[in-house]
Amino acid sequence: MTHLGAQRSKASADELELLTRLRAGDEQAFEALVARHYGTMMAVAQTYVKTRAVAEEVVQEAWLGLLQSLDRFEGRSSLKTWILAILVNKAKTRGVREARSVPFASLAQEQDEPAVEPDRFRGPQDGFPGHWRAYPGKWGTAPDVALEDRETLGVALRAIAALPPTQQTVIRMRDVEGYSSDEVCAALEVSAANQRVLLHRARSRVRAALEAHLDG
Amino acid sequence: MAEHVTCQEVVELVTDYLEHALPADEAALFEQHINFCDGCEWYLEQMRTTVAAVGRIEEEDVPPETREKLLAAFRDWKRA
Repeated sequence: MTHLGAQRSKASADELELLTRLRAGDEQAFEALVARHYGTMMAVAQTYVKTRAVAEEVVQEAWLGLLQSLDRFEGRSSLKTWILAILVNKAKTRGVREARSVPFASLAQEQDEPAVEPDRFRGPQDGFPGHWRAYPGKWGTAPDVALEDRETLGVALRAIAALPPTQQTVIRMRDVEGYSSDEVCAALEVSAANQRVLLHRARSRVRAALEAHLDG
Repeated sequence: MAEHVTCQEVVELVTDYLEHALPADEAALFEQHINFCDGCEWYLEQMRTTVAAVGRIEEEDVPPETREKLLAAFRDWKRA
């Protein structure tokens, strides 16, 4: 994994500037930083602890921890990687206290879930087994596909909210907030392959929800 | 790997394909399939559209109480 370690970004120029402002006590910089990371921090925390309320406490503890060690941060990792490392640390301590099992232990079961219902494909007795019985819709050119639509985004959001916490965290980090796969693997201490499995399950379920909404 | 992949296999390879994580031979089989199968081409497009749609979801707002609490902590830290 050394090549991945080398790719893991250092603090960017933007982040270093933000850091300077934080250290100078700039409240706006702090608020902006909290706002930028809050959603991901809540999602990650919820993979370790049972309730939203406890996750909220963990996120607050993480920010306090960050302030305490702000002067020691040297920018060798990116700021967001560092923030998430502090968070995971706090969340684990809390999760252990709550006797919650390791969040990614359930991964094996999740791997067996098909992306698309098996009955959408031809069976072994049919011609061309494993091929579509009926093609999925061609969304790109359908005039009624309104993906900008608030309603459609609402469907996607509800589908994400219904995912198991680990899948939810990965799709949030990757697709809502634009973290790289390296950053997600580092924050969640999961292998690249397992991260892809979780992302695949999550995207597949959201796609199915959108399909039910758009074609149904 | 077999000489061809079925549609049912393609839908499980989509994410690895989009993540550039397929070995070269599997990626070639995947693309070969997509090139002749409209259903899978549209499915791949649906997955890309799904990723784009999820990308337009707004990030979660910080609850006002949390914001106030953290700002108070920041002010304490500043004074320390």
